[in-house]
Amino acid sequence: MSNNFKFEINQEYDVIVCGAGHAGCEAALASARRGARTLLLTGNLDTIAQMSCNPAIGGQAKGHMVREIDALGGEMAINTDTTAIQFRLLNASKGPAVQAPRAQCDKKAYQFRMKQSIEWQENLMLFQAMVQGLIFKGDRVVGVKTNLDINFRAKTVIVTTGTFLRGLMHVGQNKNEGGRMGDFTAKGLSHSFLEAGIELERLKTGTPARILGKSIDFSQLTEQLGDERPTFFAFHDTRGTDEMFHVEQKGEERLGWIPGSKQVSCWMTYTGAETEKVIKDNLHLSPMYSGEIVGKGPRYCPSIEDKIVRFKDKDRHMLFLEPEGRHTNEWYINGLSTSLPFDVQVEMLRSIQGLDQVHVLRPAYAVEYDFAPPTQLSASLESKKVENLFFAGQINGTSGYEEAAGQGLVAGVNAVQKIRGEEPLILGRDECYIGVLIDDLVTKGTQEPYRMFSSRAEHRLLFNHPSAELRLLKHARQYGLLSAKRISAIEEKKATIESWVGRLELERNKGDTYALRLRQSRDMVEFPQALKAASEEVQAEVFYRIAFKGYLERENKQVEKLRHVDKIKVPQDIDYQLVKGLRAESAEKLSQIKPLTLGQASRISGVNPADISILMVYVEAMLQKRAKASSKSS
Amino acid sequence: MSAQDTIVALSSPVGESALAIIRLSGPLSAELQIEITRKKSRLTERHATLCKYHDIKGLELDSALFLSFSEGASFTGEAMLEIMPHGNPLIIHKILEDLLSRGCKMAEPGEFTRRAFLNGKMDLSQAEAVADLIHARSNYSLEVARKQLNGSIGHKMSALTDQLLEILSEIEAYIDFPEEDLPLDRSHGPVADLKALIEEVSSLIETNQYASLLHDGIKTLIIGAPNAGKSSLINALVGSQRAIVSDVPGTTRDFIASYIMLESHRVEIIDTAGLHLTEDSIEQQGINKTLEQAQSADFFLLIMDSSQPPPVLPAAISAILKPNNTIVIENKIDLAESKACPDYLKDCLHCPTSIIQKQGIEEFKKSWQSFLDKNLGLPNSKDAIVLNTRHTQSLKDSLAALNEALQKLDSQEFSELVALDLRTAIDGFSQVVGKIDNEAMLDKLFQKFCIGK
Repeated sequence: MSNNFKFEINQEYDVIVCGAGHAGCEAALASARRGARTLLLTGNLDTIAQMSCNPAIGGQAKGHMVREIDALGGEMAINTDTTAIQFRLLNASKGPAVQAPRAQCDKKAYQFRMKQSIEWQENLMLFQAMVQGLIFKGDRVVGVKTNLDINFRAKTVIVTTGTFLRGLMHVGQNKNEGGRMGDFTAKGLSHSFLEAGIELERLKTGTPARILGKSIDFSQLTEQLGDERPTFFAFHDTRGTDEMFHVEQKGEERLGWIPGSKQVSCWMTYTGAETEKVIKDNLHLSPMYSGEIVGKGPRYCPSIEDKIVRFKDKDRHMLFLEPEGRHTNEWYINGLSTSLPFDVQVEMLRSIQGLDQVHVLRPAYAVEYDFAPPTQLSASLESKKVENLFFAGQINGTSGYEEAAGQGLVAGVNAVQKIRGEEPLILGRDECYIGVLIDDLVTKGTQEPYRMFSSRAEHRLLFNHPSAELRLLKHARQYGLLSAKRISAIEEKKATIESWVGRLELERNKGDTYALRLRQSRDMVEFPQALKAASEEVQAEVFYRIAFKGYLERENKQVEKLRHVDKIKVPQDIDYQLVKGLRAESAEKLSQIKPLTLGQASRISGVNPADISILMVYVEAMLQKRAKASSKSS
Repeated sequence: MSAQDTIVALSSPVGESALAIIRLSGPLSAELQIEITRKKSRLTERHATLCKYHDIKGLELDSALFLSFSEGASFTGEAMLEIMPHGNPLIIHKILEDLLSRGCKMAEPGEFTRRAFLNGKMDLSQAEAVADLIHARSNYSLEVARKQLNGSIGHKMSALTDQLLEILSEIEAYIDFPEEDLPLDRSHGPVADLKALIEEVSSLIETNQYASLLHDGIKTLIIGAPNAGKSSLINALVGSQRAIVSDVPGTTRDFIASYIMLESHRVEIIDTAGLHLTEDSIEQQGINKTLEQAQSADFFLLIMDSSQPPPVLPAAISAILKPNNTIVIENKIDLAESKACPDYLKDCLHCPTSIIQKQGIEEFKKSWQSFLDKNLGLPNSKDAIVLNTRHTQSLKDSLAALNEALQKLDSQEFSELVALDLRTAIDGFSQVVGKIDNEAMLDKLFQKFCIGK
């Protein structure tokens, strides 16, 4: 190590990350890459970056976020590309903004490669110990306690404990404590939060059964192949081969394979009338229907019992069988989440076409867990109650690896900003999905496990996935998230794109400008030969900017208008109860959320435009008073 | 909200007055004065100029006085324009609509003052007063909006909002859940539903139900026992007024509505003929009808025979009567048995009259008028005009966006572009019915489609 950073129990770390899931890994890598001395604690070194649910990354809006993570120097994209076993571009028949990459990953390879990246990362120490509590000093966090009776001191702590806080798993009437089947639960930590005045609530999620591949009759199923020309998550055109792993090669053989090589298939099947009968006959045994489960589950991922009850006229439900890896015969059944008793699960599975002889390796289960309502956080993801304490991932009420990773990255960056006494990284709703995600969480909170949808973004047309690197360039530069080499490669790419866009608007082909022909045909065959030699990313972006110019201008105009209020900063020491004219309900909401800008204030539900007007006047008066006072004192 | 917007508002109270004042503040004030007046150059600053007002289609709407102020030398500190047309509500409505269609935005409550403050045209000590003003004005207009939306238009709007969200949720489902097993037959989009919605929105705009609200005034219910003097009161009020607009015999209800002008206030008077205020149990239907009227009424005149014991009101009615919306008329003071009863609804204003003897009527009308002047909790015609103009414009914006969406669906354009138009339409709707959160769309989506693979 270049800077004598050694694992020592008694030193004070800059950042301690509790939990090595998708949020924790990105958080630890981001803070270490920015030069902060980071300790990553996990209860189990063998489950780093585990995909607890389906073995896939990406999808609509999620795939976009993974590309944004790459643009901000995160690991998820490259880790997916190098361990994926099938790639598919979703919405290929729709416009570029809503096309989304998705990949099936080799679950174990994904974990091992992520672990390796962490192990080789400078400034990052990995250690297996379960965090059982936080150490406070006044209203600040100063360290963590572990199950080994070893305490660690830190300037900042990032909590990324996923579903492990008082996790309770249900299979029918059977209950087990734990955040994931086969794993433990973290109990002490919940107590620590409550002690610090951080509120906790319950959510519920679930995962389907895993089955043995050799017991599946594939001849009865429909095959789903990967794309012949895969769409990757990482921006390969702006990184050299030495940047494929983010960390220097140290002679060890790196895990993973050439992206897109040797793809495998998924398989499709359906539930039938018999399945429906089995479920209906046993509905009373489902803890979700008997009222045993109190946590709120996601609307977008209902259990199969729910689907059958709520959509009575649907006579069959589609299921996907997804392989969990190249070297395992374990398969995931997408679409069959349930908490019915195990014997009913087996009966139900065997009623499905192609699964009549199926062997179940692990049952489906529902899990309830504590989450800390994210309205208790500021937009930097730091707790408003406890200074230097950051939260990221499922503990904030989100669902999904990509949502977790995006938050982890931002929390990692901001823990370092906090130590350095610098302004936090706050991504705009008009810049990227991660910005929408965090703003929604801290401004509105969530009633169910929060998943990103493209419809949540007001300006999704600006979020076409190939533009992530360009959109986020200024942040990558400002916060030092990418190597200087890659920054200049992106700058060069940006210049190339802009120059092509300018040229195509002017240069003519068969009488019309290239731009006009492209807008009419919406087909890249209209590109001049020289452009066809550019990278696919460049071509995609040039095409999008030209063919959809009118729409993008319309969106940009909207953004410009809204930006005005987002620029007005609200002092954090306002006592909203003293703001005359504010309605009591608004004053209460504002005191709770403590918005950073007037724009954020205006998005709080129940705060109306008149409240914003009053606040605007109050803020201006406050600033004027302060300016006067300081000019007098100086 | 943006400083670049040009805001417009009606600044004078509206009655059938000689002149009204419409104010504009913001960058458009400068260019619009040329477009509207068709003068070759800008008007002389701070100098009243008489010009014709031409609307965006070139029609002359009125002759009006124009006053122009340049940036830095106006009330708000921005370029401003004041237009003084004749004080006829319909002309005002048309001018406001025209200005909105030329890109102005209706000012939010207190926005002129707020801009003046933010542009340094007011000192710090006035800041609190600005906040108070915004607060009072916005509560006031919220109240007006709430009352308007309580009626049939409100029901219509929420039904249309529902339909629009259904359509959008269908489009969004195919965008956000491409891997789901969604029905294929609708993959080209809900064309028929969208067509139906377009028809309903345009008929809502065309039948001009909003404009008809302009003719409504302060809805005032007259409550009283059969012999208390209701009819004489109405005759006294309506009969002496030349400005009666119409007598509308209620077709589905037993109410007679008349309109009078009380100085600047337009008042709709409704006689609750069906209500018998006795101690006996009252026919439930009668109460219900009156209650229905009372829910949406702005004001109550309770007339009683002062020679009789005060009437006992049904609980549902007395719950609505408040000191800020009720005047008690103690009638028949000429009778020997007449007795003042200040303890009856004691916080309300009491006016002694003998309508038959023409005693106390003018005093009552004066008190009533100043009561309306003072009481901000009541809508007056100015807010109705502002709201209606704002709402109509918002609905027109929505309609244009819906037509765009339909055209895109017809030509099989990418659905995320259709969604963009539908969201614009939602923005217009939300100007009328209040914030429509994306959650409302998601609720519809998850109700309708079985999502979750």
